[in-house]
Amino acid sequence: MKSIVSNSSNKIGAVLVVGGGIGGIQASLDLAESGFKVWIVDTFPSIGGVMARLDKTFPTNDCSMCILAPKMIDCSRHPNITIFSYSEVKEVNGSVGNFKVNILSHSRYVNADTCTGCGLCVEKCPVVNVPNEFDEGIGLRKAIYFPFPQAVPRVATIDAKMCLFLTKNVCRICEKFCEAQAIDFEQKPIEHEVSVGAIILATGVETFDAQLKYEYGYGRYANVITSIEFERILSASGPFEGHVQRPSDGVAPKKIAFIQCVGSRDVTCGNDYCSSICCMYATKEAVIAKEHMNDIDSTIFYLDLRTYGKDFDKYVERAKNEYGVKFVKCRVSAVEEIPKNQDLRITYETEDGKVNEEYFDLVILSVGLQPSENVKKLAENFGIELDKYGFCKTEAFSPVETSRPGIFVCGTFSSPKDIPETVIQASAASTAAKALLSSARGILVKKKEYVEEIDVRGEPPRIGVFVCHCGTNIGGVVDVPSVVEYAKTLPNIVYVEENLYSCSSDTQERIKEKIKEHNLNRVIVASCTPRTHEYLFQETLREAGLNRYLFEMANIRDQCSWVHRNLPEAATEKSKDLVRIAVTKARLLHPLERLPLNVIPRCLVIGGGISGMNAALALASEGFETYLVEKEKELGGFARNLHYTLEGNDVQGYLRSLISEVQANKMIHTFLGANIKDVSGYIGNFKTTILDINGETKELEHGVVIVATGGEEYHPNEYLYGDDPRVVTQVELERRLAEGKYDEFENVVMIQCVGSRTEGRQYCSRVCCGEAVKNALKIKEKKPDANVYVLYRDVRTYGLAEDYYRKARENWVTFIRYDENRKPIVTKQKLENGEDSLNVLVYDSSLRMQLILNADLVVLSTAIVAPTDNKKLAQILKVPLNEDGFFLEAHVKLRPVEFATEGVFLCGVAHGPKSIEESIAQAYAAVSRASIPMAKKQIQTEAIVAHVNEEACIGCDLCEHVCPYGAVELVRRPDDKWVSKINEIMCKGCGTCAVICPKMAIEMFHFNRKQILAQIRASFLIPEEGEFEPKILVFTCNWCSYAGADLAGVSRIQYPPNVRLIRLMCSGRVDPLFIFEALRSGADGVLITGCHPGECHYVSGNLWAEARYDALSSWIKEIGIEPERLRLAWISASEGVKFAKEITDMVADIKKLGPNPLTRSITVKEV
Amino acid sequence: MIVVKLKPFTEISSMLGKYQSILIVGCDGCSGIYEVGGLKQAEILKQQLELARELRKGGKIRVKTVSIPRQCDVDIVANKLRREVAEQEAILSLGCGVGVQTLADIYDDKPVFPALDTMFIGMEDKSQGKLFERCKACGDCILAETGGICPITRCAKGLLNGPCGGTVNSKCEVYEYTRDCAWILIWNRLKQRGMMNLFTKFRPFRVNRQHSPRELEKTISVSKH
Repeated sequence: MKSIVSNSSNKIGAVLVVGGGIGGIQASLDLAESGFKVWIVDTFPSIGGVMARLDKTFPTNDCSMCILAPKMIDCSRHPNITIFSYSEVKEVNGSVGNFKVNILSHSRYVNADTCTGCGLCVEKCPVVNVPNEFDEGIGLRKAIYFPFPQAVPRVATIDAKMCLFLTKNVCRICEKFCEAQAIDFEQKPIEHEVSVGAIILATGVETFDAQLKYEYGYGRYANVITSIEFERILSASGPFEGHVQRPSDGVAPKKIAFIQCVGSRDVTCGNDYCSSICCMYATKEAVIAKEHMNDIDSTIFYLDLRTYGKDFDKYVERAKNEYGVKFVKCRVSAVEEIPKNQDLRITYETEDGKVNEEYFDLVILSVGLQPSENVKKLAENFGIELDKYGFCKTEAFSPVETSRPGIFVCGTFSSPKDIPETVIQASAASTAAKALLSSARGILVKKKEYVEEIDVRGEPPRIGVFVCHCGTNIGGVVDVPSVVEYAKTLPNIVYVEENLYSCSSDTQERIKEKIKEHNLNRVIVASCTPRTHEYLFQETLREAGLNRYLFEMANIRDQCSWVHRNLPEAATEKSKDLVRIAVTKARLLHPLERLPLNVIPRCLVIGGGISGMNAALALASEGFETYLVEKEKELGGFARNLHYTLEGNDVQGYLRSLISEVQANKMIHTFLGANIKDVSGYIGNFKTTILDINGETKELEHGVVIVATGGEEYHPNEYLYGDDPRVVTQVELERRLAEGKYDEFENVVMIQCVGSRTEGRQYCSRVCCGEAVKNALKIKEKKPDANVYVLYRDVRTYGLAEDYYRKARENWVTFIRYDENRKPIVTKQKLENGEDSLNVLVYDSSLRMQLILNADLVVLSTAIVAPTDNKKLAQILKVPLNEDGFFLEAHVKLRPVEFATEGVFLCGVAHGPKSIEESIAQAYAAVSRASIPMAKKQIQTEAIVAHVNEEACIGCDLCEHVCPYGAVELVRRPDDKWVSKINEIMCKGCGTCAVICPKMAIEMFHFNRKQILAQIRASFLIPEEGEFEPKILVFTCNWCSYAGADLAGVSRIQYPPNVRLIRLMCSGRVDPLFIFEALRSGADGVLITGCHPGECHYVSGNLWAEARYDALSSWIKEIGIEPERLRLAWISASEGVKFAKEITDMVADIKKLGPNPLTRSITVKEV
Repeated sequence: MIVVKLKPFTEISSMLGKYQSILIVGCDGCSGIYEVGGLKQAEILKQQLELARELRKGGKIRVKTVSIPRQCDVDIVANKLRREVAEQEAILSLGCGVGVQTLADIYDDKPVFPALDTMFIGMEDKSQGKLFERCKACGDCILAETGGICPITRCAKGLLNGPCGGTVNSKCEVYEYTRDCAWILIWNRLKQRGMMNLFTKFRPFRVNRQHSPRELEKTISVSKH
């Protein structure tokens, strides 16, 4: 990290983040959590960026919105983050440590402070035909709009170009209907000036304008679309609600083609570079399309399959084998439309040289990424340099620094990259900013002081209920006064009132007053969803001196008035039920405590390579001490074998300066030749035993751990390596080149993928293609007439490295493609003169002939493999490895540098093969995440955790088995009784252990058995009279499926009002006893919902739910209840349609089935 | 541990045909730990019994549940359950065969029914989600000589002197070559430990096994005095 000299006294502890995509969001959260004020500026009316528009993300097929939306909400409610959406940066003055930035907020014509986001204005707006930018113009929106349902901030925006009043001076309907009086046609653009110490540019890029590739017919042929348009078509919240259909006639396509490299690797349009992500996203879209409709056949036309990331090749193999996606290597020259049916003809050459003609229903152009048109203006504004393509210029050893001190960059603005790379760079950029401004940390952030908490334990419940009209959102459907009257009849109710907007700031004051006036010790707000508003009301309670967990919400808007708009009576009855269920739970609520936990402000970094050293230095510049443990006797790691980078930078020189910096830094304590023996403890308080170089044990105490153990070179036993000295690895070649030994060879043959992408090691080592090109160019530079052949499978010089691949070809390096089933053969032959000749036999799949290359040097591009020690370390740290032996991060997309175990982080090649530049970025990113708890000095334990009744515990250890976080451990107490102990710091509160406990000795705080059973009993009170209407009880998890139910509301998708919903933290919390209780309590059907497999927020809770569902189905069948009464559905946060459909279908099916045979004996119950 | 399996519900339900109040006794020992006979399972069974009775209009059944540390423990069964047992007409045991018999011996005035089938002495492999038999309780342990792998139990034929001709690719013919040959496992284990001399030791056919029911004197016991 470059040290930037400036007067520390006038540094400003605030950072401007330009761009509110996933990069900007991650950088902002990292900074705000570390004690810096953050301003986010985004030109769009909502943050979220491109990721918000994606349907699924590779390689896990996670729902994009499910994983992004919680982060957007975190940003919006973070006290240290201010979002300027629909705004742009006008001017930047000042210098590093103290910038003055002018921001212009465009007129939304809606007052952001008073708009409640209810959406009534959108509903009433008569302008219906505006193409929605968010849906790439395929879907339509109104003139007043939210770009998408989950928009943050949730403030409506008027499109001045389309608004009837602003263009023709008529209408003003939105103004009439807005109860909050938030419409302001007089609103003028506002200028803000903010002072910040650093700036992070996360502006992202645009996609290539496919019309420029005239031959592919985009813009001319209706059924040629871009990949991002297809992404919206696939999305459940997209213009066609996830139904795959083609634009010309709305018919579902059967045959679709993807054309790769549209606007990438193409000198004709000036985008010479590779866009890095298209191979993977096309494969993903093909897979998802197949999942949507089983009879879709996809063909992907590609140049090189560049699926170089972690576990990407495995994904492609699955796409080929399980989803039947066809990959054809061919640059398609043109697409032709058949006028009569608007099908599309593609003529292409197959691998065996035949010309094929094929017809497709839909052609998708995999458009590349490119800097936006106004990038020059942006660069001028911020005073930074761009590269020749318009990407932000950075250096290999400082990947997030721009040319101007104090301004950092992350994400695609510096080069094309995928989401995890962007997230890594975002955290890295925030580390750079934090290091720069460490002296000003904590100065500008708000710290809230609270009054002392009132102890309500032992008091009888005194409940206050506040029922919200939400303008007319609730009040227009539900008879709010009658809900209020009903609430008054419920037990322990002391006070009930109705509000126009319960969330408005004056109501918050009112709630506080009423708490005092009536000595309330429980509060219920019947309004919208806890996902967005629980935190606000909990704050209000806390300000009034009540514990946050004495609050309960009844969601009578998103899950009632919005989805039963045409059934006001049923909606009113349901609202009463929802209030009653909330009261039932509120009566049983207990105050919960979050315990403060001191964090030792020291970090253990395991591994002293480039990643480890960069991490240590970054930590030091943020002001944290580091124990740097390296198993070798010297620092440097694998990079000691490298001499220069593809771009020509001097690796050894860099390494020397890095090592001396580390050695000189007093904050870094280095242990060379040392090994980790044991690690105990948890975040904040780890104790590590190391065996140092002298064989002595030392104990280190630290708060966090960063794993940077790097990788090793694969030692080949193929291609005569070891038999003939003329067969060497790239690393060995590089050493020779660095030593200047060029005279030893004339004919060099390089073989790619040695030990990579093969049986047993089915991953790409990512850097070898670049290495080969690098060394080939070096040879050509020093010895232009040498012959260099590179035998490859796919040349994976992704991103800007593509330039060097092209340069290599221009310098007559010969690239020969071989097929994985016909690998090259290296042979030795005795010549007449007694010498051994070394030959390489290769079948050239382009020429379709066998070639014999005479070589005097064969260079093997060997795989990067995980050190065997990883296994031991993984066991010590209790963190997982992937099947290739690399460490497995908590979440492939959004948590790329952390483990599920809190306080343990990873970076560099320990995570998977990567370049020096990428390793440095990841090291900074790990530091950013690792430094958050240290900067806070104190962290708080979760309140909603599991708790073991140790006296009842039988020590069976099942809970330890099901806990995905290693938070449960069977331990021997001092009295020798073996009991399960739950580490409250590591417990995330899913509740799966509480269900499996055979002795029922585990309870979940805030979702305990008594509370949930009471909610179930309160769900259906009065037996129906007249025609049978099935009553369905739904269990949702707190994350995906509850959000899916909310989205059905936000999208106003109507479904029958026969459902009552009980929210748990995870579907893994659904206890079989809950189902029996539901069947006893009048439910005619029970629906268990959760996140899709692989998307569970608690890793595996949903899988346990599924296993229990199977058992339960047979249990209820055994006693004579139709198993159809119990269902399981996976519903993601973007599947509002699916949620509504599940309910509708289930109601219809149960209606046919008739009432639950048990309900006949049930009479009116009492709460 | 003792590996148990829950009986089909219909079988349990028909056993309890006429009774109107029963006590389900769970066991926190083996059956509880294997998620078959603990308090949780007792609660689930209670729900099933009550609801099934209600559906069949067979009148009400009142079910109480309790679980005790070990049903095979005469003292616990005799002293800790008396009150609960007295209140109910019949007992449904969620213990192994030993538990059922202990209950039946002590509460000889109450009908005692087994809810479980007792399978074998074994262990659970959670990664496979399966339970495996490991010990035949033969009373003459030779595990010291066989690398801790019991050929009496794990060899389908109970052979004592190496694999038979039915071993193909380390798999046993008795189970259609799907399961490991115990003697190959023993070979590998002994080799790993450098104890191959034990493999060649001849073990004669054992004739000293007692006939059931077996008995055993306790070394230290107050009953002797």
